[in-house]
Amino acid sequence: MTSASAPGLRELQRWFASVTTHPEGVLEGHLNPGRSRKLERLVTPGPRLSAIDRVQIYADGYFARLIECLTDDYPALSYALGEDTFSSLARAYIESHPSRSRSLNAYGAQMAVFCRARPEAWASFAADLARLEWALVEVVHETVDESLAADALLTIPAAGWQTARLLPSRSLRLLGFDYPVNDFFQAFREERAPEMPARAPTATAVYRQGLALWRMGLDLRAALLLKDLVSGVPLSAAVATLESRSKAAGTGEDLARLLPQWLGAWVQSGFFRGVELV
Amino acid sequence: MQDRFGFPDLGIGVGLRTTHYREILEHSPAVDWFEVLSENFMHTAGRPLEILDQIAERYPLVMHGVSLSIGSTDPLDWDYLRELKALRQRIGAHWVSDHLCWTGVAGRNTHDLLPLPFTEEALLHTARRVREVQNFLEAPLVLENPSSYVEFAGTPLKEWEFLKGVVELSDAGILLDVNNVYVSAKNHGFDPEAYLTALPMERVVQIHVAGHADYGTHAIDTHVGPVPDPVWRLLARARELGANAPVLLEWDTEIPPLAVVHADAQRAREFLSNLDVAGAA
Repeated sequence: MTSASAPGLRELQRWFASVTTHPEGVLEGHLNPGRSRKLERLVTPGPRLSAIDRVQIYADGYFARLIECLTDDYPALSYALGEDTFSSLARAYIESHPSRSRSLNAYGAQMAVFCRARPEAWASFAADLARLEWALVEVVHETVDESLAADALLTIPAAGWQTARLLPSRSLRLLGFDYPVNDFFQAFREERAPEMPARAPTATAVYRQGLALWRMGLDLRAALLLKDLVSGVPLSAAVATLESRSKAAGTGEDLARLLPQWLGAWVQSGFFRGVELV
Repeated sequence: MQDRFGFPDLGIGVGLRTTHYREILEHSPAVDWFEVLSENFMHTAGRPLEILDQIAERYPLVMHGVSLSIGSTDPLDWDYLRELKALRQRIGAHWVSDHLCWTGVAGRNTHDLLPLPFTEEALLHTARRVREVQNFLEAPLVLENPSSYVEFAGTPLKEWEFLKGVVELSDAGILLDVNNVYVSAKNHGFDPEAYLTALPMERVVQIHVAGHADYGTHAIDTHVGPVPDPVWRLLARARELGANAPVLLEWDTEIPPLAVVHADAQRAREFLSNLDVAGAA
């Protein structure tokens, strides 16, 4: 039933997808006389719209839909950069990262890397903020393991401390930053109109308990200890490393007080799902 | 075939949206059933599924997808279909629907419901894929008529002929979206009643109602509520023609509290009960 001049289904779909996802829009095709003629040959005009205007509805929808998806995942980044800059960033991201998945859940996964490679002055800050916001997305979609019991560390036999490893929960993300992006994010959430902060190293744990998402700002020494524990360093070795680091930095006096506080808070917050005695 | 493939009449439902999760989990409002967007609960192992499990314990559910891409010339995505089937089993969804469209080609997904040319080639291609999907799901696939903004030249069939041909060749169900019929009628200049009259109403498993944005030159299926009266009248006309199926309201733009969405959905009873009274008289 297809007329002799009409393309087959595959050719038509490839053409329509290329026109409606073109970075410069259907208009680019319109300005090219050859492409314009093809469009008007393949698409009929409507009662009140030209063929080009009808196709443009799909082109507008393509970018709007994906920009909306990225804005949902990166609300603080969108605020930090401003609507126009974020929209330009998002369009550039969409052009270089066409979706190849049936789901949009992971579409924005590469935004931090993408920001880091940008030439603008905000690139590093934006990359840090994007990493924090993407960690929140990841944790939403991650399984929450049953947590280690609050008193579990007390039950480790003395002989076991040399080899005991803490098993991290799958819904824990530990992040180190060059900027205080967790404070920025909190201020954004509280509508305190934060401005881009000065560079300062920080660390944050992102985790989930039940349906609730949490962010915990970490002392940098605590973050290094937690990083060792999460990567499988045995408890005693990780603590020894912490002590030697602190001694070298002349900051070891308060460790005896802080260490149990840190470990207690992490266990209580469900950072660990078990202890492995090797 | 049995009317509606023997699926139950679930009553009047609303689309499940994230903004209503808390209200649903805390208060279990009286809603007959929910339609869940399949892809929102796929590619995840976390919170979306934990919430959906709780809702599935309290309400009848059906699944509605946007990414099956049944009309695409790319191969069927079996990983997607395996996950779709597992989700259906997990939540006990009564049926699975998606759109009579394609969403991408050459491995890229536009996440849009793109129009098919109404040709014999596209009809046979799509019907064959529907049969493959149904064999895999071990259940009828329910296909929705999408709204559309373009028509391709040189296509000999009308949209309703194409829809009828696909579902009859593949023995599939229809999710009749009367708002989409209204929107496409406006955009292409056809008579929406002629569309309804031509459909095999015994295959209509579910009906969608929703609002749209009318820009004068064209209408866009925005799912902004409340549902306008012309769309309700098309629902009543579909019922007159034999579409005796459960009705679901979709509201996706400027979403109000669930009570407001639910109250608008209940207007279906008003339009359909008037019809029943008229029929009885």
